[in-house]
Amino acid sequence: MKLAVVVQRYGQAINGGAELHARYIAEHLAKHAQVEVLTTCATDYVTWRNELQPGVETVNGVPVRRFRVKRERDPRVFGRRSDRVFAQRHSLGDELDWLDAEGPTSPALVDYIGKHAADFDFCLFFSYRYYHAYHGARAAASRAILVPTAERDEAIGLSIFPPLFRAVRALMYNSPEERAMIHAVSGNQAIPGVVVGIGSEVPHNPQPGRFRQKYNIRGPFAVYVGRIDQNKGCKELFEFFQGYLRDPSGQLTLVLIGKELLPIPSHSRIRHLGFVDDADKFDAMAAADLLIMPSYFESLSMVALEAWALGKPVLANGKCDVLKGQCIRSNAGLYYENYAEFSETLAAIEQNRWLSGTLGRNGRQFFREHYDWPVIERKYLEMFDRLKKEAPAKALDPLPGWFDRRRQDLPAADEVLAKLPTGSATPRFAQHAEPGAPSTGSGQGRRRA
Amino acid sequence: MPDFNVRSDSVNVEQIMEQIRARIREKRGVDYTEQQIRDLAAVKLEKFLDPKGVRSDLLERYRKLQPAYEPPELPNYEFEDSTLYETHRGPLRFIRKLLNPLLKLFFNPNKLIQALHIQSKLNAMYAEREARREAARRATDQLTYELIHNLVLETTRLGIEVKNLKMRVESVGSRLEFNERRARALESVVVYKPGEGDVVAPPPQRAPAPSAPRPPQQQPPAPTFQPSPAPPPSPSGVAGGAAAPEGPGQRSRRRRRRRGRRGGGSAAGIMGGQPAPQPGAPEASGPVGHDVADEGADTDAMDEVETNAVATDDLDQFSGASSHPSEPVTRPEDAGPADAGPGRVKTDPDTQ
Repeated sequence: MKLAVVVQRYGQAINGGAELHARYIAEHLAKHAQVEVLTTCATDYVTWRNELQPGVETVNGVPVRRFRVKRERDPRVFGRRSDRVFAQRHSLGDELDWLDAEGPTSPALVDYIGKHAADFDFCLFFSYRYYHAYHGARAAASRAILVPTAERDEAIGLSIFPPLFRAVRALMYNSPEERAMIHAVSGNQAIPGVVVGIGSEVPHNPQPGRFRQKYNIRGPFAVYVGRIDQNKGCKELFEFFQGYLRDPSGQLTLVLIGKELLPIPSHSRIRHLGFVDDADKFDAMAAADLLIMPSYFESLSMVALEAWALGKPVLANGKCDVLKGQCIRSNAGLYYENYAEFSETLAAIEQNRWLSGTLGRNGRQFFREHYDWPVIERKYLEMFDRLKKEAPAKALDPLPGWFDRRRQDLPAADEVLAKLPTGSATPRFAQHAEPGAPSTGSGQGRRRA
Repeated sequence: MPDFNVRSDSVNVEQIMEQIRARIREKRGVDYTEQQIRDLAAVKLEKFLDPKGVRSDLLERYRKLQPAYEPPELPNYEFEDSTLYETHRGPLRFIRKLLNPLLKLFFNPNKLIQALHIQSKLNAMYAEREARREAARRATDQLTYELIHNLVLETTRLGIEVKNLKMRVESVGSRLEFNERRARALESVVVYKPGEGDVVAPPPQRAPAPSAPRPPQQQPPAPTFQPSPAPPPSPSGVAGGAAAPEGPGQRSRRRRRRRGRRGGGSAAGIMGGQPAPQPGAPEASGPVGHDVADEGADTDAMDEVETNAVATDDLDQFSGASSHPSEPVTRPEDAGPADAGPGRVKTDPDTQ
C-alpha cells in the first residue's frame, strides 16, 4: 500500500498541532505502508516563506517531497479578505480569493498531486482550511482522505468547504464534537468517518524530581503547556488565577511552559519557564498536580492527552466544546466557564487528593484505550481496508463559472457559525447528529471508571 | 475544603460539576439574594434616598420611553437584465429586443445593467444590515437600562448599609465612652486614700459567728481585691448594726462609691476578678461590708432608685437606643427573673 501525506509544513522542528499530527501519523503508518510526505518549503505559518529546499529529503525515515510556495502571505490582504468573507455577504470568488490569500499557495504541489494521485492508494490531507488541502483534495478526490483538524472558528462557515467534506472518500476526525460540527455544516453523514485523534510519545519514566530541582520549583503547582497567547485563553487564565491567588487557602503555583506572546503577570506564584524540550515538558507534567487548558478553540488537545497519559487531571475551559467533551467522556478532568467555577474546580482538585488521583487514573485509562498508538494505527488501517472494498464516490462537481462565482449570495461565515449546534457531543447529541452512521469513533459512550 | 459525595471509586465529572455549581449557588446565597435586594430597595428607598431623584420604576420608564422598533419600509427597485427593455406594450418590447444588437453598437448596456443590479442588491443588503444593527443597538440599550437599574438597587443597598454601619459605630463609641467613665470611677475607688480630716475606722474584726444574711436589696458589689489603705474598724467592732459617726469627708466618699456602683456590675466582674456574691450568699467580710453596713438600709434603697434612674439615662444617652431602635437594649420589663435579683432590673447592655 502506498500513501501520501499532504500537509502545509513538515519537519522535525515544526511543532504546530496539525503538522505534528501529520508527522506522527506518517511515521507510524510507515510501519504498515509506503508513505511519502508532500509538503511545501515553508516553515513559518504566518508568512509561508520558502525556507527549505524543494525536492526530496528523508525525515525520520519518511521521504518528504517539498514544493515551493508561489507567494508569501500578505497579512493586510488576508485580513481584508477575512473580514469580507467572515462578516459580510459575499461571493464564492471572494472565498476562493480568501483561500488564495491564506496560503500556502503552492500550485506546484497541487499539480503534482493531480498528476501522481494514481501512484498512491490514498492521499491523507491535513487541515481542511488551507490551500493545499482544498485544491489537493479536489485534484485527487477519489483517493482523498481528509483529516480536517477543524476548530469552531469562522472558516468552518465558508461555503467552499461543505462540498469538499462531501466529496472526499473519508474523514478522520479528532473528536466527536468535530464530527458533529462538520456533519451539521455539510451534511456529509454518508461519507465514512471515524474519530481517531492522535497518540503521543509519552516517556514511560518521567523524572518529576529532576524537573523540580532544575527549575527550583517547590510545592504544588498547576502547569500550562502551549503558546502563551490570548487566542489560547491565557489572558482569562491569568485573570482567574490572580483571583485564586487572593484566596489564602490555595497553595498552587502556576507554571507556564511555552512561547510568550502575552504579558505575564508578575507574581511569585506565576512562573514562566519559556520553551523547554520534550523531556522537561513531560517531567513538568509528571511533577504537576494538574494541567490547565484554557483554550477556547481546540480540535483535539494533545497536551491534555499527554497529561492524562501521565495520570494527571486536567482543568479545561468549558467554553471549548471539544475539551469539555473530552473531560466528560474520559471522566478525567473538570471544566470551568467563569471565575467561580475556576476557583472551585481548582480547589477541588488541589485539596481533594482522592478526586485528583481518580481523575488521573481515569485519564491514563482513557488514553490507553483510545489514544495509544496501536489503537490509532488500527483505526487508520481499518479505514483503508474499508475504502478499498467500497467504490469511490461520485466525482467532485467543478467550480461554478465566472459569473456565478461573483454572485454575492453567500452568507457571512459568522452567521453560519452561529447557527451550528454547540455543546459537547454527548451520546444523545451524537445520535441526532449522525442518524444511521456507524459508531466507529472513540469516546462515543460515556465511560465510567 | 471541598468535599464531594462520591461514594465509590468511580467519578462522574458531570455530577461533580453539578455539585460544584450547587456550592457556588449556596455561597452566593449567603450574600443578599436578588429578592432581598429588591425588597430593601423598595422599602428603604424613600427613607434614605430622595424619591424625587430616583424612581424605583426606572426600568419601566426607560422601556416606555423607547417604543418598539419597526424597520422602515424603504423603497427599492429590482433591476434585472431585462429591466431596461421592459414595457407593457408587447410590440414595443419586440422592437426593442429586435434593435438590441443595434443599441449595443453604440454603447455596452451590460455594464449599466450589471452596475444597477449590484446597486439594487447592495441597497437591499444595507437596509437589512441597518435593521439588524438597529435591533442590536436596541437590545444593547435594554441591557444598559438593566444595568442602570441594578446599579440604582446596589447603590441603595450600599446606602442603607452605610447608614446602619454609621449608627453602629456611634453606638459602639457611646458604649466605649460609658465604659471608660465607669472604669475611671472604679479606679478612683481602688486608689482612694482617706483624707486627713476623715475619721479613720479600725479594720473590722472577724466575728466568731458568721454574720446574719442580709436582704438582697442591701447587697452591695463586693470586689475581692483589697483597697490599699485598710479602713479603720468600727468602734463597735461589728460589721453592721448602728451607724458609725460620720467624718467631714465621709459623705462625699460614700457618694463617690455609689457612683462607682451605678454600672450595675461588680467591680470584680469588670476587672476580671471574682464575681460579686449573689443575693442570699454569705457576705464577704472586709471593708466593703463595713461600708454597706455603714450606709444603712434606707441609704441603700435610695441608692438603688438613683442608680436605676441614672443607668437608664446613661444607656439612653450612650447606646444611641433612642436614635436607632434596632439596637439591642433590654428594657426592665424584658429582663427575666433569672437575670436580675428581686426588685432590680438589668438595664446595662454590657452586663447582659
